[in-house]
Amino acid sequence: MARIVIEHLKYKYPGTNKLALDDISFTIEPGEFIGIIGRNESGKSSLCQAIAGLIPNFYKGAYGGKIFIDDMEVKKVGVEELCETVGIVFQNPFNQVTGSKLTVYEEISFGLENMGIPREEMIKHIDDAMELLDISKYRDRYPFDLSGGQMQRMAIASIIAMKPEVILLDEPTSQLDPQGREEVFQAVQKLSKQGITIIMVEHNMEKIAAYSDRIVLLEDGKLIDIDTPQKIFSRDDLDEYGVEAPVYTQICRELGLKDRSSGYYPITLEEAKRILSGDRKGEM
Amino acid sequence: MKSISLYVDKGSWLNKMAPESKIIYIITAITVPALLGIRWAGMGFIVLSIILLLSGKVLKKTLPLLGVSGFVLVTVLIIQGLFWAGNITPLFRIGPAVFYKEGLNFALGILVNVINILLSFCVLILTTKPSDMIENFVRKGFSPRFGYVFISVFQIIPQMTETMNTITDAQRSRGMETEGKLWVRIKAFIPLISPVIMSSLINTKERALALEVRGFNSKNKKTFLNEQVKTSADIYIQIALLLGIAAALIWRITVWLG
Repeated sequence: MARIVIEHLKYKYPGTNKLALDDISFTIEPGEFIGIIGRNESGKSSLCQAIAGLIPNFYKGAYGGKIFIDDMEVKKVGVEELCETVGIVFQNPFNQVTGSKLTVYEEISFGLENMGIPREEMIKHIDDAMELLDISKYRDRYPFDLSGGQMQRMAIASIIAMKPEVILLDEPTSQLDPQGREEVFQAVQKLSKQGITIIMVEHNMEKIAAYSDRIVLLEDGKLIDIDTPQKIFSRDDLDEYGVEAPVYTQICRELGLKDRSSGYYPITLEEAKRILSGDRKGEM
Repeated sequence: MKSISLYVDKGSWLNKMAPESKIIYIITAITVPALLGIRWAGMGFIVLSIILLLSGKVLKKTLPLLGVSGFVLVTVLIIQGLFWAGNITPLFRIGPAVFYKEGLNFALGILVNVINILLSFCVLILTTKPSDMIENFVRKGFSPRFGYVFISVFQIIPQMTETMNTITDAQRSRGMETEGKLWVRIKAFIPLISPVIMSSLINTKERALALEVRGFNSKNKKTFLNEQVKTSADIYIQIALLLGIAAALIWRITVWLG
């Protein structure tokens, strides 16, 4: 399985003077669910694109430091080779449709055809991916006719079918309605359970807090912190980084209720409920 | 699903044939009458094309195409009939206009050629899925990148038209006049077209990224999900057509030499 090591990563987009990524170092273990948070322009997308190798292979610009995926150095391996290990899903589902395929089924095959997977194996991969993302019923639909949530799940399936070990999701739900968002989150959760490493940029703090093993907090291209969601959302300086803790955390913070065993504020509804009811019992 | 492709899937035997065979048919239908220099050959191919289209159940779809070019052809017939340089023998007159035999004869030659070319292309276009055709080319060594460009045009353009409509509606709802006199339409054009161009540039960049991460530039040998479109008869048909061209060529050369 793929272990991601980032060492002193620096990057500047062409034509700018500011570092988009400024000396970032951390390690991601295989199978981890990593959430990336931070205000707009803090470097979340750039970090994702750097791990997927689009920076510096697609975008030019000044690049320093190293990213290793197992023993492959991202900079030295092209995207075309890296995409067999690392998959990335973007924000806009519409722009991820290739436009060269007439059905959802064919659309998912696009990456596999390029990779040169034999036909029988390809069919198996596609069926598995469609099953996993629950889009088998749209198999013969025209890709552009799907709803946003369905289209985004198709985009994820297209990446999953390529059997990557790491999946990067760059705000995959930001353009979706609540139902579409829920569909995508459930799919991502399933993938995580299969042991795929997931790195997700997301603005919905309740969701990201509930699913992540660790959270990366970025500000101005710098890594502020990487830690468990409890520790991250219990920080007192979240406001400075333009981040709002999950509502459950906010409520418990106002009430001054911490989890006694860990010493941090709760981050999910269940945790908050447990602490609140425990507290009430304590009073009675 | 909107499409700018004229293809219709009728499940006929023409749908199942290899696109190459149909392309060779077009070449045959154009070169053989040209080589033979006999008008009957062209007419023969027109009849053959009509039979093919009829058996492919798409003859009705050719009517609009014929209608558009028919208008041009009628003008050719009138102008050549009236004014062709070699006009000598009057054939008939409508009011003051005299139609000549030579001119009409000449126009008829053009007519046969155009209709022949049109119908033989219809055999290909109306019965072949564009993506199948390009895929077959890619299998034969055509660049997959150019292949992608050709296929995606059929889907991206309708999508752009849709974006255009959305933007038109949006601008109209802000009070812009988009209908009416020519000048009003010209004035409306720039505020309409610039968002379309800007958004398609952005979309193109994003789509390029999405293609890239799906191995678009992979050096591995490409495989295909769909099996190649061809039938066992294809190879014989292709050979027969090529033999036809060769025979016409030989006939032409012997005429020249003799």
